[in-house]
Amino acid sequence: MKPIAIIPAFNEAAKISGVVAGIRNNAQAIGDILVVDDGSGDDTANQARSAGALVLRHKLNRGQGAALKTGIEFASRSGYGTAVFFDADGQMAPEEIGSLLSKLAQGYDVVLGSRNLGRAVDMPPLKRVIKLAALVFTRLTTGLRITDTHIGFQAWKMPALARIRLDQDRMAHASQILSEIARKKLKYAEVPVTISYDAYSIKKGQSGWNAFKILWDLLIK
Amino acid sequence: MLIQIILLAVIALIVLRLAVKLRSEELSVKQFCGWLAIWILAAIAVIRPDLTVSLANLVGIGRGSDLVVYSALIFLFYFIFRLLLRLEKIEKNLTKVVREEALKEYDRQQ
Repeated sequence: MKPIAIIPAFNEAAKISGVVAGIRNNAQAIGDILVVDDGSGDDTANQARSAGALVLRHKLNRGQGAALKTGIEFASRSGYGTAVFFDADGQMAPEEIGSLLSKLAQGYDVVLGSRNLGRAVDMPPLKRVIKLAALVFTRLTTGLRITDTHIGFQAWKMPALARIRLDQDRMAHASQILSEIARKKLKYAEVPVTISYDAYSIKKGQSGWNAFKILWDLLIK
Repeated sequence: MLIQIILLAVIALIVLRLAVKLRSEELSVKQFCGWLAIWILAAIAVIRPDLTVSLANLVGIGRGSDLVVYSALIFLFYFIFRLLLRLEKIEKNLTKVVREEALKEYDRQQ
């Protein structure tokens, strides 16, 4: 079975069809595109469906981590061998899915996109500082030798994905994935990717404050 | 003193509510006994404040009322901690239900 792209989406009606079409047209390696609509109040599910994606709907908003996990469960019970995580807000470049997959084929369990190996277009300065702090924190706590953290652009072999624990419903899931990679001693690699920051993605994306919320989730819960 | 009468009345009301909840089985016998014990201790502290003073002196705190405040704080923190854990469990269960429902709905549409 060809790889599945998993896209968690919350109120992304404006962007989602473009993202799905982008993958359809620029990432021939991808078989099915799955959009997990995380309880959106807008037309995200219909937009995604008409763009040709498979759609799962959360009746309530449960967070990006929860939506991703739903996608993973779907992929694993449907028998896909490889999954690619992709964001719904149009920040990622679908033509780069190919480079994640070819790296994965070299015998890795997981391949992570890295903005620091690649190009982050117009990243706001405050965001840079917080990312740097997050990177130092992640390196210290997991021991992973990576150049970027909290990036949703990843390619996974399904058996490896089945082995990790993923029960952080909100944004802390990204940190949890990294610590699970370390704990299970998975074979990981990074490839450079391009992430563009426009007004839309900055508005929709993580504010700096969320770094503290994530820390709270990780430490307390 | 007036304050003693007011506090005792409040405690009596709370215990009454507990008894009602026990009868309607909103509280288990175990929970009821736990809460009852706490409020009986509170009532004793109100009737005989001198007891809290000697207890406070015993553990090295000057005033009885300070001891009461300290213990109440510790109890509250513990209680909030328990609540947080419980809330987190509910959230995780909710996510599981929402996830199963999403997968089932997909199957129905096929």
